[in-house]
Amino acid sequence: MKRNPLLSLSRGLLIVILATFAGFPVYWMASTALNVNSQLFNTGQVPWPQLGNLPELLSELAQVPILRWLMNTGLIAAGTTVFSLTLGSVLGYALSRFRFQGRGAIGFLLFMTQVIPEALIVVPLYAIFITLGLLNNLWGLVLANVGFSLPVAAFILKGAMDAIPYEVEESAIIDNCPRLGILSFVIFPLIAPSLAAAAVISFFAGWNEFLFAATFLMDRELWPTSVGLASFIGQYETPLSAVMGAALVFSIPAVAFFLLVQRKIVAGLTSGAVKG
Amino acid sequence: MPKIDFKGITKSFGPTTVIRRFNASVEDGEFLVLLGPSGCGKSTLLRMIAGLTDISGGELLFDGALANDWTPKQRGVAFVFQSYALYPHMTVRANIAFPLVMDRFRKWHHIPFVNMVQRWKVMRQPEVADAVERIAEQLELTPLLDRRPASLSGGQRQRVALGRSLVRDPSLYLLDEPLSNLDAKLRTQMRSEITTLHQKVKRTFVYVTHDQVEAMTMATRIVVMNQGYIQQIGTPDEIYDTPANTFVARFVGAPPMNLLPVKVAGQTLHAEGDSHWQHDGGAPKGATSAIFGIRPEKLRLTAPGAGRLPARVAVIERLGAETVLGCRLGAEAADVSGISTEDLVFVRTPGHPGFAHGEACGLDYDAGDVVWFDKSSGQNVAATPVVSTPEPAFEG
Repeated sequence: MKRNPLLSLSRGLLIVILATFAGFPVYWMASTALNVNSQLFNTGQVPWPQLGNLPELLSELAQVPILRWLMNTGLIAAGTTVFSLTLGSVLGYALSRFRFQGRGAIGFLLFMTQVIPEALIVVPLYAIFITLGLLNNLWGLVLANVGFSLPVAAFILKGAMDAIPYEVEESAIIDNCPRLGILSFVIFPLIAPSLAAAAVISFFAGWNEFLFAATFLMDRELWPTSVGLASFIGQYETPLSAVMGAALVFSIPAVAFFLLVQRKIVAGLTSGAVKG
Repeated sequence: MPKIDFKGITKSFGPTTVIRRFNASVEDGEFLVLLGPSGCGKSTLLRMIAGLTDISGGELLFDGALANDWTPKQRGVAFVFQSYALYPHMTVRANIAFPLVMDRFRKWHHIPFVNMVQRWKVMRQPEVADAVERIAEQLELTPLLDRRPASLSGGQRQRVALGRSLVRDPSLYLLDEPLSNLDAKLRTQMRSEITTLHQKVKRTFVYVTHDQVEAMTMATRIVVMNQGYIQQIGTPDEIYDTPANTFVARFVGAPPMNLLPVKVAGQTLHAEGDSHWQHDGGAPKGATSAIFGIRPEKLRLTAPGAGRLPARVAVIERLGAETVLGCRLGAEAADVSGISTEDLVFVRTPGHPGFAHGEACGLDYDAGDVVWFDKSSGQNVAATPVVSTPEPAFEG
């Protein structure tokens, strides 16, 4: 079929416009990071990055433990992802495959966790964490984050498991596959796109989390980057270029993680489009 | 190879009972077909043999040992599903090898990544690789071994499903309507392939179908079921020639057996309407009314006035080698314009009989070919049924 050149052109143009909209904040972040602070508080900000200011930016970032913060963020995000996916897949499987009393109630309670605002449970959670000795502890923060991302992961994975014919599982039972093996050899490979989607959601929930981290972590060395970034804001001065520079560094691992799993997600979106 | 005995097997889902007091046995090496309409409980029974569905009551015996609570692994059966149930993410080779890989599975293989390496290693073991190659060759799947199920045709997928069950060489094969998703031509081909396979492997096959042609062509013995009850157990010939009741008579055979409720007055039989004819072969003793049954191929088409039953041709189905004619009884009064085929008497005759739609004709038969059924119970009154149900379902 011959392609309409006008249609191709307008489609390309639309993609460029949308990409510009999406990419501009990142560009502006980079541009701001490489500007001089004094320019940023006047009207004289140069709209393009000034690479000459890079050494100054690096020396400013060197004054804060940004690598340490990044590692903390990575630990929180990875912990949240691993626990959410592990528990979420088992929970999703139970909700999808087993008929038991209270199944509906569990589903409802999981949904309720998404309705309650985080801010509402900060104080009770603070009291619980004092009792359990989890205050000022990164694993405590992972636990709090898992509480919010686990239901989402479980629902996503339950939906994906619902779509797998039960006969495939029964076939594995006949083939002597143990129950746990059914999950790891049969179910997980089939729901890989949904696992990737749940991983992205859990990872970014942990990566971007601020409220719990700011409340439960006191030591500067334990802060994640989100809290570290907020600490730049001073009473009299906010070094905007350093904030933007740190934010830029903060976003790089997240983008890398997304690029890593996005192929699986796209594969999941298109699978089933063609009749097998 | 196990002999399987069912002793009063019952299955209920909540208040609904789908199988009631099922008593039968599956002999070593036989090809037993469970035949019945949708919802009659035949697939549930098969799943109970496999251990995929719990048994509500009664005893399932494998070689005399109570197997009600045995796991599918303990029963050592192979199961071929209607939808093939292949693992879509695995190649044909991995699908066929999977039961063998699982036989060599150890608990520590659950460790992530270790299991991937172990499965890969087991698949490369000579005895596993050779078994897969041998099965693939037997089922003509060798060129497809490295393809995934999504790129295979329905028949090829069915062969992979068979291969997966064959590879472990189980003593009992359970097949749940394995051909129902295939087109007519492929179904015929696969039918003979499965029959050949049964003769080759010399194992016990239990096959579930609602297709009476499959049952008649493949089975060594058929269990006809309806509404959770056994209607009849017998060889295909017994089922066809001496149906235990009107349900079996109507369910087995295409077109089904002609069943005419008649009033018996000496040598004269009166059907509904004004139709009556002379019958010299006797009727059920002492009965004034009964159901007169005759297979379509046992009826002979004659010139008008020549046969015992005057009729008029209402439907003609040309099948090439033979023709099926639907006739309405009664010569003059017969209305052949209606579209209902409920009250038609079907005649199967070889070749092209030369009758046109609406034309008058005669029907004749040999009295010995008539099968009599009791009018109220629907049971065959001449033949002693091999097994009859405690609560027979009469569908006249």
